[in-house]
Amino acid sequence: MLCKLAWGNVRRAGKDYLVYLLTLTLAVTVFYAFNTISVQASIVLQEEGLPELLGSIMSGLTMFLALVMGFLMVYANGFIMKRRKKEFGLYQVLGMSRGQVSRVMALETAIVSGAALVLGIVLGVGFSQLMTFFTASLFKTQIADFHFFFSMKAFGITVGCLLAIFMVTLLFNLGVVRRAKVIDLMSAGRKNEAVKTRNPILSAVIFIMGAGLIGWAYYRLLRDGLPVDAAPSEYDEALQQFMVTTGIVIAGTILFFFGFSGFLLKVLQSARGMYWRGLNMFTMRQLAAKVNTVSFSMAVIAMILFLAITSVTGGMSIANVMNTSVERNTPADYTRILMYYGPDVVNDPEQVAAYEAEGYPPMKLAEKPVDILQASENNVVDPEKADEERFDLARIIGEHVQVDVYDSHPAGAGDPVVTLNQIADAVDMPLPAGTASSNVTLLGLQVMGESDYNRYLDFRGKPRVDLGKDGYLLTSDMGETVNAIYDAALAQGVPIKLAGRTLAPVADRVDDTASSFANASMGSNSGTIIVPDAVIDDLDLPLYSSYLLANYKLGLSYDETEGYVRRDRSWGNVLNADGTQSGLWGMEMTRSQSYESTNSMNGLISYLAIYIGFVLVVACAAILTIQQLSGVADSSKNYRILSELGTSKREITRSVLAQQAVFFIFPLVMGIAHSMVALQVVIEIIKLFGGLSIGFTVGFTCAIFLLCYGGYFLVTYLMSRGIVTDAIRTRQTA
Amino acid sequence: MVANSASPNGLIGRHAVSPGGSSTSVQPVLEVQHIEKVYGARGNVMRALDDVSFTVQRGEFVAIMGPSGSGKSTLLNCVSTIDTVTSGSVLINGADVTKIKHDKLTRFRREQLGFIFQDSNLLDTLTARENIALPLTIARVPAKEVLTRVEAVAKRLSIAETLDKYPYQMSGGQQQRVAAARALVTNPAVIMADEPTGALDSKNARLLLESLETMNQRDQATVLMVTHDSFAASYTNRVLFIRDGRIFTELRRGDSPRRAFFDRIMEVVAMMGGEGSDAL
Repeated sequence: MLCKLAWGNVRRAGKDYLVYLLTLTLAVTVFYAFNTISVQASIVLQEEGLPELLGSIMSGLTMFLALVMGFLMVYANGFIMKRRKKEFGLYQVLGMSRGQVSRVMALETAIVSGAALVLGIVLGVGFSQLMTFFTASLFKTQIADFHFFFSMKAFGITVGCLLAIFMVTLLFNLGVVRRAKVIDLMSAGRKNEAVKTRNPILSAVIFIMGAGLIGWAYYRLLRDGLPVDAAPSEYDEALQQFMVTTGIVIAGTILFFFGFSGFLLKVLQSARGMYWRGLNMFTMRQLAAKVNTVSFSMAVIAMILFLAITSVTGGMSIANVMNTSVERNTPADYTRILMYYGPDVVNDPEQVAAYEAEGYPPMKLAEKPVDILQASENNVVDPEKADEERFDLARIIGEHVQVDVYDSHPAGAGDPVVTLNQIADAVDMPLPAGTASSNVTLLGLQVMGESDYNRYLDFRGKPRVDLGKDGYLLTSDMGETVNAIYDAALAQGVPIKLAGRTLAPVADRVDDTASSFANASMGSNSGTIIVPDAVIDDLDLPLYSSYLLANYKLGLSYDETEGYVRRDRSWGNVLNADGTQSGLWGMEMTRSQSYESTNSMNGLISYLAIYIGFVLVVACAAILTIQQLSGVADSSKNYRILSELGTSKREITRSVLAQQAVFFIFPLVMGIAHSMVALQVVIEIIKLFGGLSIGFTVGFTCAIFLLCYGGYFLVTYLMSRGIVTDAIRTRQTA
Repeated sequence: MVANSASPNGLIGRHAVSPGGSSTSVQPVLEVQHIEKVYGARGNVMRALDDVSFTVQRGEFVAIMGPSGSGKSTLLNCVSTIDTVTSGSVLINGADVTKIKHDKLTRFRREQLGFIFQDSNLLDTLTARENIALPLTIARVPAKEVLTRVEAVAKRLSIAETLDKYPYQMSGGQQQRVAAARALVTNPAVIMADEPTGALDSKNARLLLESLETMNQRDQATVLMVTHDSFAASYTNRVLFIRDGRIFTELRRGDSPRRAFFDRIMEVVAMMGGEGSDAL
């Protein structure tokens, strides 16, 4: 009996439940589809590990987003409850116990949730198959073995989230019924709440204050940048200031929307011809009356949209940067780095003691570069195996070259000889964002001899350079902000004094296609100056690092080369003949490894950005929809009066559209404005690693979000028009 | 239907037809001719209005009285174009409203009719001034003229001091007078009032009725008021009694004082009640 009642109710209140059903279905679809990511990734990628990582990140994120959705559902449900209080009162008057009423309600929620689950899973399963292709393109691979899949794990997580949402909603509903007195329920339909109005002048002041605060926060952010930019000693202070800026922008946004309607009202009222015309004043008053109650949620929505836009654009831009720089930054099939101990370490008894305590061999300053190819033979392949197999790199590599790089910090000298700061000063440019935090020593450039660089150029198949007696060149594969400084120095012919000579540049810009000495996803060479060999000899510079760049022998298979390098291996120490050690192994990376890590990072970041962004946008849009629909339902009496006074339906629906456009568009505009400013700062950081291009994917993603948001707007308007049409049709039956 | 032969109440037929039919010098503002309103489908038919005819002259203040369920509100709704008739015609200023197409009806209603309801039906988000101005702004009257006309009508109905208040800040009586001002401000051909005093206490009811009287006498407004309150009806020039969907009888006030008219109305009410109908 109760079931029948509940079923009937759901069917009858279908319109109210539609938004609820729509949002829940969308949530289930998205939850399921994104949680199958680990399955998708395992179809797409041969690599181990990453799919699991992705899967666990996604399921963690889903919990958080389920929480967001949970609140949303409680809100949506509150809207339905508000409209049906009288009905629940009637049930009690007719003799149903509260328990029975609660059960009817629980059944209704269960029916709708169940429908959403079935619909959402069906959509989600279909969607996730399609997404596999998208995943493949994100991870830059082909689908080797496509097959239809259904993930029990994703299904489990989705059902779990839905159950949690259901329970929360149910508890909330039961609370409403338990607390309510029958008399309140019965008279809930009668509307006698006073329309809260605010002094328009006060509102205008609040609005201007809000706008002012937002402007101030923008100014502060643009001036201070992100706290990661600050020097370590000032980091805490910078973080505090950043928090203050965040606080200001939040307060500003809230005040802005609080005073918004009053301000608009004031402005329009002063334009008499506009205000006292058609339904304009009605529209304005409706807005004013509603903005009072929803201004806070408008502010929250603006902030959430801001978060979504910034995370999607920022995240995907980083992914883009990595994509564009990976090709430039992978000079060889295989690269290996060896880092030398610096004099500041070797000559510091404390550090020496610390190293030796950890079991390192005795330290000794390197007198001449270590031959990496030879030193690699100390590596042991598959160390667990009983018979020792030495790492035979020479067997698999063909063409190769080793270049050695010196520290521009001569032994005993206080500061490096050539630093980024000096160069930036010489060309009168500020240090790029994100480097100001580093101390002077770290900003010292490395130095490479002309002959080494020419051998490197030979290896890369590029023409040699001739520095003559007093020439220099700058190399760097970092992003455009650092390179812009080097380019300016070269172009302006900034002289550099070294070892009693004054060197002059022999090129007018950095060749960033001939600047990478090791494979990396992003830039690895933040600045190396190429000088005539004699300069290095004269200066007595300490060795900094050596790079081995090698291409595999032709005719060997993937397993024989890449497979061999990737086998489990112990690196061991880099020993001199006398048992001392002059340096440590640095990074070893193959070209395909850096491509893979770029693609995986890329895919991961894009996924997270899209997932978070999508759920947040849907949540915002759904809240707005529910708010607007309940608002229209509450004012349906007003629309009927307008109709009776002789307003055409067209004019009434136009007024509704205008009101809803304000509620949908203003938070969006505010969110976009915040994002534009924040992205200015974020982009500065990203530029450090490479050129930024708001690529196709970002545009595409934003288009989908806008479509989704706009779709909710459209649904809201069409449903509102339905409500208004009904209200107009209903005759006065007093 | 058109034939007016078998009317059970010869009295009504004569009264209704004679003013409009015999003299063509003054065209009546409102002419109701043989209207019927039938609810329900075959087998279960409910005849809410059964061959009702009457006319209202310009500047008349007419009440329609009857017990609940007698069809008086249906009559008002049909006359005021909110509801449609099953048959018959309603002429306002010579135009047959039953023949006006739906999309033109809105405009007709806006230009020719004013409404006052039992609950004042003011827009709760608008001030009194804005509520009164609304019919004018909808009709795209220039802003300057809107404001002067609102001020003028508010002064006449003594609600000038409430103009900047919101409905929830006003008493029920003030709300009803604001609604009356809203109905009057467009100078409509007929003002339709549906139980305007229904929700008011006696003091406020009297104030409102005096306002309606003022509108009728000073502005020559034609008012058609549905009520079940004999006291309210005694403020009018003429009372139509309706029962079971038919016009039962009518009373004209003539030159008699309001008190005497009230007594005469009470007699008719008692008679209607005495025939076994619902008590009023």
